[in-house]
Amino acid sequence: MFAPEFIYRQVLTIAGKGAGANQFTSTLRGIAVDGRGAVYAAGDSEVKLFDPVGQLVGRWPTARPGLSIAVAPDGTVWVGETGQIEVFTPAGKPLTAWRDERVFGRVTAIGFSSGSVFAGDAEARAIRHIDRSGKFRNDIGKDNPTNGLLIPNGVVDFDVDAVGVVYAANPGKHRVERYSSGGELLGHIGRFSGPDPTGFSGCCNPTNVAVWNGRGIVVTEKAGPRGKLYDFAGKLLAFIDGDCFDPMCKNMDIAVDPRGRVAIGDTERLHVLVFEAVAGGRPA
Amino acid sequence: MSDQPTRRTVLRGAAVLGLGGAAGLLVKKAHGQIFWQVDPARCLNSRLGETTVEACNLCTSECVVGLSAVRAVNEYSRCGRCNICPAYFDISSAVDEKGMPSQKLCPRDAIQRKPIGKADPEDPANNFYEYFIDEDKCDGCGKCVMKCKEPLGLGSIVLRVRYDRCVNCNRCTISTACPKNALIQVPQDEALHPPEILRHG
Repeated sequence: MFAPEFIYRQVLTIAGKGAGANQFTSTLRGIAVDGRGAVYAAGDSEVKLFDPVGQLVGRWPTARPGLSIAVAPDGTVWVGETGQIEVFTPAGKPLTAWRDERVFGRVTAIGFSSGSVFAGDAEARAIRHIDRSGKFRNDIGKDNPTNGLLIPNGVVDFDVDAVGVVYAANPGKHRVERYSSGGELLGHIGRFSGPDPTGFSGCCNPTNVAVWNGRGIVVTEKAGPRGKLYDFAGKLLAFIDGDCFDPMCKNMDIAVDPRGRVAIGDTERLHVLVFEAVAGGRPA
Repeated sequence: MSDQPTRRTVLRGAAVLGLGGAAGLLVKKAHGQIFWQVDPARCLNSRLGETTVEACNLCTSECVVGLSAVRAVNEYSRCGRCNICPAYFDISSAVDEKGMPSQKLCPRDAIQRKPIGKADPEDPANNFYEYFIDEDKCDGCGKCVMKCKEPLGLGSIVLRVRYDRCVNCNRCTISTACPKNALIQVPQDEALHPPEILRHG
């Protein structure tokens, strides 16, 4: 019987479906948080920026519908799209765009380490490793018998920890895999576990992943939708109950801030739910 | 005299149109051009949003044809070729020593699979799999269709009327029983899957 070490408590609901300035009309694909707890959301063809208490403090258009979003260590905002990545200042002013449809087929995740940018390309089922000048270095997750990550869900998602290790969701294998920036498989956590919540269920889970530096790995699953926290050895520590998500949700992007607050995008109701982990009534 | 049509002329016109339409349908049917077809957007087993209900098996229980003229079909272009396919395995069954579900879903064992390329004996997750349905075993119960649909699967398995089995009743017994009116009669040129109709019709 699984006994959670933490309990997640929902503390905030941001955005939602509608025509309001702080809402999305049809899609919510990417979520990112910065060191202050501000939430960046990419949906429709727009980026919306919310402060840590959920107030809209900025919004700007993207050239194509945003599929993913990430905040670089220097504060610039990177948006993954079909065929390109757009880069903005923290205030939303366009800086540059990397366009190469051979490398950026469908960019569903972006991450950073010193000197490197990583882009999840769902068309290639791989993570592209690129240097800061935009030059392609190598693929990650491609050198295997299936010639790429197994993503029947259609999304490559990953995160990068503080020392540059890439944590990639490989939902068709029911794993989170660890890779070096050069593409070497370092290990994995997870297994298919049927109805047992300690592993992953369904055809293909987890769909999305984020690293809580020094503490563990948070993931989201589909059918039914839920969030989970694992330690780096793969032990389940806590989960976020699916009742707060639309049951039709899939590919819910997830981000975690340095304090451990988890933001998850509901892809059907188009809102961002923010959760706080508590243990024994105190923040984890 | 007013140019407005009288009630009588309107009714007469409607009757002529109705008779003409019915006659047209009969002519098309006489030429074998009208087919019964499952509309996947109406079928309880395949339409989205029905996530917590049991599979409807009226296509099995109501059809006058042995086993049923309705069979499950896997549209390969949409199939994810998953290692753990929720339409092939009963994913709620206990996990066996190989880390796989211990039971299959289909009560008639009508779904088969084979690895694409060379199977990795060390790690079955290292493969794509091709899933195909043995139509001689399938009775159209819809269990696999229900499990394949979004968001659990990709909706590649659907129910189809097989025209080499269907006897094209004037009043299809499945359509009479179907609570969602998912059995529809369509002319060949408006059919959802014209290539298949041409092949089997």
